[in-house]
Amino acid sequence: MIFVAVGTQFSFNRLIQYMDEWAISDSNKKQEIVTAQISDGDYLPKNIEYERFMSAETYNKNIREASVFVSHAGMGNIISARDQQTPIIVINRQLALGEHRNDHQAEGLKWMGKLEGVYTASTQDELYSHLNNIKELMPATHSHVGNQQLSDYIADFILHGDGKASLVKL
Amino acid sequence: MTKLTKQKILAIASPGGHWIQLNKICKPLENQFDIVYITPGAKYSTDKDSKRIINITDASADSKLKLIPLVLQLITIFIKERPTAIISTGAAPGAIAILLAKILPIKTIWVDSIANVAQLSRSGRIIKNIADKVITQWEPLSDGHKISYQGSIL
Repeated sequence: MIFVAVGTQFSFNRLIQYMDEWAISDSNKKQEIVTAQISDGDYLPKNIEYERFMSAETYNKNIREASVFVSHAGMGNIISARDQQTPIIVINRQLALGEHRNDHQAEGLKWMGKLEGVYTASTQDELYSHLNNIKELMPATHSHVGNQQLSDYIADFILHGDGKASLVKL
Repeated sequence: MTKLTKQKILAIASPGGHWIQLNKICKPLENQFDIVYITPGAKYSTDKDSKRIINITDASADSKLKLIPLVLQLITIFIKERPTAIISTGAAPGAIAILLAKILPIKTIWVDSIANVAQLSRSGRIIKNIADKVITQWEPLSDGHKISYQGSIL
């Protein structure tokens, strides 16, 4: 199964359409079932299963069970893909196409592609070339997300760091 | 004399990547502190885990009218919970909480989202000189003084 998700803030009709078309293309031949979370998009796919929004449980189960997770270039999904040990392909929303308020996802793609288990695409061709080599997509070799040093630093600051001189006493 | 009760921390983030990052950062702190999570994403309150989550109104630069209920909710939470610190990973509601806490005896910590590679997030730049501690997850954005770098969550 391939799981597709576009976040909850905006629709991403273009990605859903790409996946809808890929699902019945010669390169897939319906081998992989595609399931999508489409948010409030108005493109309704014909060849793949979809829901607008899913419970956190279903959502994470889909990521875990997918052979690959296809997503907008959002940080949350990259982290979830690593948590669930599933390779992820991210495609950026484009400001020029009215898909986002800014183009930060295009900038994000540059460094996201350097992360283990993350594959990037900015066009339909790039997306399809990853999907057509699906067996070669690998998850990150470790699933830990978090940073003890960062959390310890914050704890130390809360306990011993300099706060400002407060103006009001509660 | 040792304190028997844990210090209370408010952890605030918007849904999606901000929320997931906040949880990853705060999880290791849960033994040490009493953490109350705050989010404008109502759907998270149905999560099965035991953490305490308070829902607030969302507001951003595009929805200025919603600032009023948001500010009132945050002040109510501050009075009721009396936190010693606030942590936020963004976006706007977290920055507003840090702005409000400026005049209160609450330490404020901003951890900029890992998605902000080239410069701090818009909210991060606004509260850069207001938060007591600003942390980036990208070393080049650290100035070794006001903006700290302690690695990233990935």
